[in-house]
Amino acid sequence: MCGIAGMIGFTSERRATLGQQLVQVIEPLEGRGPDSCGVGLYTAAVAPDQWKLMLQGDVTLAWSRVADWLATQVPLHQWDGVSEGCYRAVIGIPDRPADAFKHALRQAFPGLHIPSAGRSLEIYKEVGSASQLDRRVNLSQRPASHGLAHTRMATESVVNTDHAHPFSAGLDLAIVHNGQISNYHKLKYALERRGVVLETENDSETIAHYLHLQLTLGFSLEAALAQLLKDFDGTYTILVATSEKLALVRDRYAAKPAVVYEKPDQVVIASEYHCLTHLPSFDRGATLIEPDAAEILVWSVTTGRPAALALSPASV
Amino acid sequence: MLDTPAQTSVLSLDCAQLTTRELNQRLKALATEGIPAVRILNPEGRHNVAVGLTGPIQVTIEGSIGYYCGGLADGPTLEILGSSGWSLGENLMNGQILVRGNASACAAASAHGGRVIVLGNAGPRAGISLKGATLVVLGNVSYSAAFMMQAGRLIIAGDAGPNLGDSMYQGEIFVGGELTSLGADACETEITDSDWQTLEQELLPWGLDPHSRSFKKIVCAGELYHFKAKDWSKWKDAY
Repeated sequence: MCGIAGMIGFTSERRATLGQQLVQVIEPLEGRGPDSCGVGLYTAAVAPDQWKLMLQGDVTLAWSRVADWLATQVPLHQWDGVSEGCYRAVIGIPDRPADAFKHALRQAFPGLHIPSAGRSLEIYKEVGSASQLDRRVNLSQRPASHGLAHTRMATESVVNTDHAHPFSAGLDLAIVHNGQISNYHKLKYALERRGVVLETENDSETIAHYLHLQLTLGFSLEAALAQLLKDFDGTYTILVATSEKLALVRDRYAAKPAVVYEKPDQVVIASEYHCLTHLPSFDRGATLIEPDAAEILVWSVTTGRPAALALSPASV
Repeated sequence: MLDTPAQTSVLSLDCAQLTTRELNQRLKALATEGIPAVRILNPEGRHNVAVGLTGPIQVTIEGSIGYYCGGLADGPTLEILGSSGWSLGENLMNGQILVRGNASACAAASAHGGRVIVLGNAGPRAGISLKGATLVVLGNVSYSAAFMMQAGRLIIAGDAGPNLGDSMYQGEIFVGGELTSLGADACETEITDSDWQTLEQELLPWGLDPHSRSFKKIVCAGELYHFKAKDWSKWKDAY
């Protein structure tokens, strides 16, 4: 079990407190997974010729040397300490794809983790509770257009920051996953044959890299998720975010839960209903749906869900 | 918190003031005392409410409830003025559970006796491993309803999702709407006059005349009771 949540704010009011609301929704789900917590927020974008890198690691890491390394590779525009062992760098665009650049940085500094890269995505994650993560990196003070959250109960791999969700690949792509991928090893080898370097042994990491590969090949997020349903065995409710979209996919057996709360100013997706009642703006009159088995839902973070993707009648 | 609101003589328990364990202990004590009815306020999707409750007490839950509501109960009458989460009335022994809204996955899973009524839709695996209870859904059911059902009755007034009755052993399923697909070893059989009487008994109280729908009856074909080599493909596809 794990707890997952996703949220879009369509108004400036909902976006101003999105970090705080995500914490309020994910915290009651800790009963589903108490070992680690992670949040991915799509905050104000940096300039088109810049990337934001999120960096996490032990406090004893030679952080000034990480900044120096970055400065030798790319223009280092900004270097902020978020908290002990958590930094945000704004850099010029390197001469390599994002994952190759991240891999080179990791090779140079073993023990360094790079939760995300992109123009707006910022991933914060660590072993421990949601309130601990909030206190440490001040999630409640971070506005965002949309975001994902996860509270983890490890079933297949080790408990550490690297193995916590959200997982990310390429730029501005994040996923959270509740469930198990049962053809993980086959998928892993298939991805590795295509040049993907997996940094962890968490089955969920393959989802991020698989989707990144599909999107790089030119498929839409909708088409990539339809193909994921065919290629991924096991149990899953997956939430995916890009800078423009938030999406949900549920496995063919509907083995893992999801509830969707929709209002004109906000969309919230969560594993269980009760955590939605913790939203400060919770409205009993809002549309509440449960996606069906093998259902894919995609929202634009600016215009919401297109009518063409309306639910099948069997959904409750 | 236990109080008697002025407007009604029915006792109420407020979830906002009680842990789930306290709530269930109070409910159990009230049922033992022979209190006829109790209201549960502010359920807010709480899990495990009214689990293992015995006796004829009537419980009205004023809102939506979480997982396993009324599970293992023996005798009470539960009414949920909202929707329910997963595994509503799991392993119900006797009594009645009425949901005014929708029920999520696994409604009435393994229920041995009594009756579960869902006035809205039910999610995947409704009536999974049903062992003798009656599950009535006025709306639609999703994927794999009555999977491995062993006894009892599932009545679906609306549409049934894919894989209905997969690997069922015994019992009967009635579908009033569209049937997407049958699972392994489930087959349609002729609907009898006594079946129509049963449907009237079960549906008329909820304002639905079964004759307004073209009900079909699904039972186990019994082809998988014994392994036959020529049935390899059926076994392979059953899961």
